Amino acid sequence: MSERKTDQAFWRRPAIADETEAHQIEDVRQQHLLLDPRYPLDSDRDVLDPMYRSSKRYWFFFALFAGLVLMMFTTWTVQMWLGLGITGLKRPTMWALYIVNFVYFIGIGHAGTFISAALRVLKVEWRRPISRAAELVTVFGLMTAALFPLIHLGRTWKFYWLIPYPNERQLWPSFHSPLLWDLTAITTYLSCSILFAYISLLPDLAMARDHTSGWRHILYSVLALGWRGTEREWSNHETALNIFSYAIIPVMFSVHTIVSWDFAMAIQPGWHSTIFGPYFVVGALFSGAGAVIIALTIIRKAMRLQYFLRTEHLEGMAKLMLLLSFAWDYFYFNDVLVPWYGQAPVEKSLFALFASGRVAPLFYLMIFANAIVPVTLVFKRVRTSIVGLFIVSLFIQIGMYIERFLIVPVGLGQNEIPFAWGVYVPYLPESLISIGAFGLVIFLFFLISRFFPLIPSWEVYEGQVLQGLRRIGRAILPTRAEPD
Amino acid sequence: MAKNLLIGLFHEATPTADTLAQLRELGIPDDCVTVMSGIPYRPEWLGRPPVRGRVPMFALIGAGLGLVTAFVLTWGLWLLYPLNQGGQGITPVPPTLIILFEVTMLGTMWAAFVGLLLENRFPIFKSQLYDPRITEGHIGVLAEVDAELADKAEAILKANGAHHLQRVEEKYPLFARPGNLLDRLKARVTTLFGPDLLQRPFWLVVAVGIVVLLAVGAFIPYGIFPVAIPTQMEHQVSIGFQQGPRLAAPAAAVPVQGPVLIAGQPASTPYPATADSLQRGKVLYDLTCVVCHGASGDGNGRLSGFFVPKPADLTSARTQAFSDSQIFLVITQGFGAMPSLAENLDVQNRWDVINYVRSLKK
Repeated sequence: MSERKTDQAFWRRPAIADETEAHQIEDVRQQHLLLDPRYPLDSDRDVLDPMYRSSKRYWFFFALFAGLVLMMFTTWTVQMWLGLGITGLKRPTMWALYIVNFVYFIGIGHAGTFISAALRVLKVEWRRPISRAAELVTVFGLMTAALFPLIHLGRTWKFYWLIPYPNERQLWPSFHSPLLWDLTAITTYLSCSILFAYISLLPDLAMARDHTSGWRHILYSVLALGWRGTEREWSNHETALNIFSYAIIPVMFSVHTIVSWDFAMAIQPGWHSTIFGPYFVVGALFSGAGAVIIALTIIRKAMRLQYFLRTEHLEGMAKLMLLLSFAWDYFYFNDVLVPWYGQAPVEKSLFALFASGRVAPLFYLMIFANAIVPVTLVFKRVRTSIVGLFIVSLFIQIGMYIERFLIVPVGLGQNEIPFAWGVYVPYLPESLISIGAFGLVIFLFFLISRFFPLIPSWEVYEGQVLQGLRRIGRAILPTRAEPD
Repeated sequence: MAKNLLIGLFHEATPTADTLAQLRELGIPDDCVTVMSGIPYRPEWLGRPPVRGRVPMFALIGAGLGLVTAFVLTWGLWLLYPLNQGGQGITPVPPTLIILFEVTMLGTMWAAFVGLLLENRFPIFKSQLYDPRITEGHIGVLAEVDAELADKAEAILKANGAHHLQRVEEKYPLFARPGNLLDRLKARVTTLFGPDLLQRPFWLVVAVGIVVLLAVGAFIPYGIFPVAIPTQMEHQVSIGFQQGPRLAAPAAAVPVQGPVLIAGQPASTPYPATADSLQRGKVLYDLTCVVCHGASGDGNGRLSGFFVPKPADLTSARTQAFSDSQIFLVITQGFGAMPSLAENLDVQNRWDVINYVRSLKK
């Protein structure tokens, strides 16, 4: 065989003679996952092992969150049996905590698609190991959110009246109604998010199939659909993922815009605003980014995925979250400034309520959590500290939940007729169901983490193939090859 | 002619590309060779012709189907059942655009998914020539060669450093087109619309299931399969609009037909009939009252001929017998054909006009 140039398998590390250079390279490798390749079997083992090794602590939390879910569904059953009268819903606040939860959990569902689709389109490399977890936050957030209109309905069994289908009552839902837009948008978004997550899961299912036995092998064989990784499979896979990425981003924007229209289409002071669409979208991305960080930090620790989920990924998320925090400030200011300038009496009373009324503590806590706490992310020390990020993200969740609470029941209590103003206080059933909803999202994560790989290993390996090192002067810097 | 199947595993991309080039030189067409990997190596990296998939075409068709579905859901159904709300159809343009967008995107993405399945011939549950090490990062070269070339091809794979080699003799040339062998080993290759569609039980079951669901969904609502759907409406009391018997009024209820005078109290504080008041009263009278009641107050204004009965003669004893407060109420509320002038005359103006009317007394 004649002399020829050859590349090395991506997991092979060339021996470096120079000691300084070797140290430098080791440093860069520790920082960057994509420059720190291993033999894929070792990485695969890291992904698969936690799936069938459940510690006692896992079962403890599993039982805890299963209990919360049970509590939620029991309360829901009781509410269906006794009627919505057992909740705090009364005139004028007929939309309250359930709708807050609906908006909040749909919001959670926005970051996942944004991270895996938008960052994929933009070819941002740090998305690679976190996209699966982000997609799952989307899917579970949306599933939970989709429950709340049903819970809020009271007579849940009449839900099918919303669906446009030929029926013997010869009734047809009116497309005037934003609620019908909601149904269409959420159906599209939820089903396509599941398909999107499944498509990117296919090669990982094949990987799991090749490395498992018993019932898991059968399960993964069926779900992997016979994936072998031929050229044609990969090529079509890539095309399909690209189509999904480009198509699901406008759908994502439309979903939360439509959720905002549920409010903005009503002639309710504080709701009837043209800026509500983008304002809600930004808020959703903001709280969603926080939720993804919370999920990642927990997964990283609980499933020992420190190899895959490194500081660089969390730092990337933190920068995104900081940017979204500024965007949220901007939109919130807009949302307040224009009504304030108009000096409409009811809106003035609403602002007075926020500034010095009974909800003032909530309002200031929201401003603190959403606008002030995230500013700490300008410090690298906070961005690179897992605990710090976790706390900031938790604050953002609290802040965004309060924001929705201030919009829905508090805004609704202050309508055009001062005679009919009302104060809403959540009753026990609503509180239990809301707590249970948080439990449900976490429980679904607990469940899925035993069945499906939470790291898209094929995406990581693809990144590892494409990344390399380059020397500039004394520094050794990561470089990336553009495949297209 | 018997075919042989060869599979070889490589670690690196370059020897794989060399192998592929040499296999082509040997005379094995490109569509009889495929590369399997756990990482998406682009075909052009390995010197292979690009794959032309039809997933985008599926997505486009799906978008079209979604758009049509949305039109049927909104305008189409409204044409069938013209339900109007407040004089509008149930599908005004801007909300309909939202439905069109969402359902179009739904169609696009679902069709892209279906396209991915069909283009890759998924799901494949039959055994395929494969090696689990491919998902560990190895690159597999799979070639379908004629028996007489098999030895040479095997030698090429070996020479380039394939660390695993397997050779399978295919006794039954089942395949119409050679390239398809690689996608569905030991399975019959058919196109979706080909003559042997019925031999593919999976798709047959799917298709029959969809048809049955659609048929049931379409026939039940229109009573073609009459199914008694329990509505429980027979248990509800049916009451028509304003149907009696009505409840008697509560004992303490007082019927109110607008403001009435309280005995002994004026309608509002009267203004004294000063010269200024009379002057204002005349100007206001000539603006607001004169067209009906006439300049002299005798009820012969220019519009008086249009009214039956004629406007009141303000100079008459009957009118002048009204108390000031009664006249105030008439101006405020109107009387008979006379409209309320409350918007034209404020309280003081009304007293000015009353003072002026008193001065018209014969």
